[in-house]
Amino acid sequence: MTTRRGFITGCSAAVAAFAGTNFNTVAFGDPNGTNEDILISVFLRGGIDALNFVLPIGGVDRGHYEAARPEIMIPTAGANAALPLGGIFGLHAGADTVDNGNPAPATLYDLYQDGHLALVVAAGMHEDNRSHFDSMNFMELGTPGTLTTPTGWLTRHLATANNLPPEITMPALAIGNLQQAALRGSTETVNMTSPDSFSLQVGPWQWRDAQRTTLRSLYNGSSWLHQSGYDTLDAIDIIELNSDGGYTPANGAVYPGGSLGDHFETLARMIKMDLGLRVATIDYGGWDTHEGQGENGGGYFLSHVETLSRALAAFYTDLDGSGANNYTSRVTVVVQSEFGRRLRENNDRGTDHGHGSMMMVLGGNVNGGVHGTWPGLANGQLFDGADLAVTTDYRRVLSEILIRRMGNPYLGEIFPGYTSYSPLGVVSGPDLPPIYGPEIFADGFESGDTGQW
Amino acid sequence: MSSSVSPPEPTRDTDSLNLTRRRVLAAAGLTAGAVVLPAATAVAANNGPSGGPAMRHPDDPPAPEGGLPALPSAGVVTLNRASFGPAPGDLAAFEALGGDDASRIQAWVAQQLNYQSIPDPELTARLNQANFESYGVSNDPDTLLATLWDWYDQGNAPGGNSSSGVPRDEMTRATWMRVMYSKRQLHEVLADFWRDHFNVYINHSSWARITYQHLDLILRQHQMGNFRDMLEAVARSPAMLYYLDNYTSSDDGPNENYCRELFELHTLGAENYLGVLQQHQVPTDGQGRPVGYVDADVFEAARAFTGWSFHYGNNDDDSGLFLYRPSWHDRFQKNVLGVFLPQDQADEKDAKDVLDALAEHPGTGRHLARKLCRRLISDHPPQSLIDTVAALFSAQWQAPDQLQQVYEAILTSDAFRNTWGEKIKRPFEVVGSALRAGAADFTLLMDDGDTSSFLWRYDDTGQELFNWPAPNGFPDVLGAWKSMTPRVACWRICNWLIEFDDDNGDYYLDVVGQTPGGVRSANELVDFWVDRIFGRALPTDDRTDLVEFMAQGFNPDFDLNLGDEDTALRLRALVGLMFMSPEFLWR
Repeated sequence: MTTRRGFITGCSAAVAAFAGTNFNTVAFGDPNGTNEDILISVFLRGGIDALNFVLPIGGVDRGHYEAARPEIMIPTAGANAALPLGGIFGLHAGADTVDNGNPAPATLYDLYQDGHLALVVAAGMHEDNRSHFDSMNFMELGTPGTLTTPTGWLTRHLATANNLPPEITMPALAIGNLQQAALRGSTETVNMTSPDSFSLQVGPWQWRDAQRTTLRSLYNGSSWLHQSGYDTLDAIDIIELNSDGGYTPANGAVYPGGSLGDHFETLARMIKMDLGLRVATIDYGGWDTHEGQGENGGGYFLSHVETLSRALAAFYTDLDGSGANNYTSRVTVVVQSEFGRRLRENNDRGTDHGHGSMMMVLGGNVNGGVHGTWPGLANGQLFDGADLAVTTDYRRVLSEILIRRMGNPYLGEIFPGYTSYSPLGVVSGPDLPPIYGPEIFADGFESGDTGQW
Repeated sequence: MSSSVSPPEPTRDTDSLNLTRRRVLAAAGLTAGAVVLPAATAVAANNGPSGGPAMRHPDDPPAPEGGLPALPSAGVVTLNRASFGPAPGDLAAFEALGGDDASRIQAWVAQQLNYQSIPDPELTARLNQANFESYGVSNDPDTLLATLWDWYDQGNAPGGNSSSGVPRDEMTRATWMRVMYSKRQLHEVLADFWRDHFNVYINHSSWARITYQHLDLILRQHQMGNFRDMLEAVARSPAMLYYLDNYTSSDDGPNENYCRELFELHTLGAENYLGVLQQHQVPTDGQGRPVGYVDADVFEAARAFTGWSFHYGNNDDDSGLFLYRPSWHDRFQKNVLGVFLPQDQADEKDAKDVLDALAEHPGTGRHLARKLCRRLISDHPPQSLIDTVAALFSAQWQAPDQLQQVYEAILTSDAFRNTWGEKIKRPFEVVGSALRAGAADFTLLMDDGDTSSFLWRYDDTGQELFNWPAPNGFPDVLGAWKSMTPRVACWRICNWLIEFDDDNGDYYLDVVGQTPGGVRSANELVDFWVDRIFGRALPTDDRTDLVEFMAQGFNPDFDLNLGDEDTALRLRALVGLMFMSPEFLWR
């Protein structure tokens, strides 16, 4: 069996010949430092209206906000009033909604008050691009301005992390029908919607075992498709072995109905299988609110925020056990979106594509509170005269999680071109000097798929 | 029957269930060398040597990969990429079309482009049998739209069920039967392409469910014609007007959503987007056109489209039909893509001028040429072919048969004939081609448990028809479909199809019943079904695996008794394996 360390050692001569000096630090990293943290990347597709999620409830910017959003502003009093976060900021009331039929132990706002949720205002990407599809790919590939990068930032994180065991059963999981661009190029990622449908228990039962053996043989070949099919058969075996049907969330956690709740529940279930999961991705679409997003803090946007908040809170609650079940101490969830939306509402009581957004970080080692630098909402403070500016590069937040939680300092590999890291303080953990240096695997291997979608 | 004989052991190391981390490390090795730092200035990077912009999506040539399949016959290539796979008899008919590959492809393409001359009795019979209430109620788009609006929005459905799920579910069922039974296969492949190109998410709203059939019909009526005409038909369709919010866009505050995607997805493409520059900063080509578009072009175009709406609500004639609302239109001058639109133009003219500028722009030709080649050939078609097709697209932008000329240029190119295995089938193609190869006898009905069961299983694949939420349509690059869930779901439904039977126990895909009487040994059974399903010989190892599965340790030349239920099950399982095999997925 080829082990991870075996591979690195085996190709060291070739790699060293190309890459030079930095190689040793990677190949022979601290053998005792096995990192067990789990990084979960949640992408809100469509561009969340960050200014109605974390918003000014006081100060001069409240005036600018109300003037620009006469119909869709979030109120500061009465029904759906913004939840105070301290200072001038408030959080959408949907973060504190409970399902009355099934009251969950904690809401997302409760988790904020307990210090487990960090909100980063005016976070995003400096790229001046208001296209959903370009912006999502820039962010997820980790290379703003470049769409042809063959691997995603999470793929490169896994590839460069030198503090993982040589063998991991299931290091990466993409929840949903398709694999996200953050994991592009990863061949060790399992992608699923639910373990219950990730099986081959179909077809004539008398011949299922024989079929599966033949299928393995048919996929025993050298093309990427053969190898990928073979890995799929391995993954099916693992999941069938570990999913003994049914799942009951712990601690009274109640996931919201619908696919987002299902996906977080699947993720919690997979984490508890202890298959070695290190990174996972989840998508939640429907944020492209050009029209009718809701007035007085209600309507469509409210229900969308409620679903997101309830799913995050249920997930945290489900994992928040003690002893061996204390998964939250190992989990960091980071939530982002491709851009924010314009300050000024449009004529359809919606908002058009903007620039600066926000990020959320949830986990047991999060420094709760509002982080970042608020750029202001006066005309002269807006990006392109219209949008919230970006004051925190999204890569800064991700880099901090990579370094402090995942123990991976190879920022030059993961976010090439990003060389100005300093921690913002959203999570706790040891600081390592970031390594922007030579590309450790610049070995001239074939390039991967570069297609766009 | 001996159950103690095990099938051959795979030669690959299987001692661990761990997903090996070896290959991902190798993959990451690729990364570092390949990451290109962002271009410092978008304009400089886009300003190609010819004066036109270089693509921001350079689409590097594919890496050579090991183990890719051998190039099969022209018939196999053509029927797997320009149709939903060969049904029994299709390959023989293709072979009879000429004396060599080139003439056979040419004749097949000519036949398929002239689709209305191809009789389609089996599809007609199936649709008649399904007896849908809404689907096909009219071939006149306005009549279809007004009828469906009256029935499912106004609540006057003749059957008494005015749920918007009815027109959606009939559309889904009919589309499956078209793929399975229509002889006009290129027409179906193109309809699938254009539905993705002009994507509307059918479950966006009840109005999307009600108007989707209309969108499909206008795409079908224009897809063999002229792109500019199709673009305008879509711009006027309530499906698109509602999905992308233009229907309420007015001079009080134009809504940019539709125009953003009109530029980025429907015409010029993101590769010609130059961001937040001012219009006057954009370089021009030899004919004075801006080489790409900027946000200001989107904003100005949104002003041009103010007032493009449709009849809805209580205050109008509530018909669902297109309506231009002059009082909502921004009457002042505009500037879009270098075209000056003076104030107070005639009704609808501002927007039509925008559509002209977009349809005529060479960037649109390049974007559409690349997308069509990507669907019909591979993710990395030769640049020379894209250039040729793009030039044809643009030169013929006003020709009534522009799109036919474009398809013909692609399908009769050397690259079309000589490319194989650079992509795999998407789930719709996997399951569609399995049903076709297996000659399934399956009329998809409303209110039918078997039909629902099939669709429910298929929808796990990630390509539930018309259900891509974002306006960019289902992805059409290999990378998007490499992941495990679509593969597992396709395996599951293919292996389920071979056992799919009705209340009488009759199989919809009757493997045993279709096996000729003289075909009984494991060797013969494998060869018969391989020929039927693949239309070509399999790699030797694959054939051996299948023969050993079927023979189960006995002499593969001995006749098997298909009257024995266990043996019959094994034959079905054999065909299931063929559908699940890697060879079935290449296109």
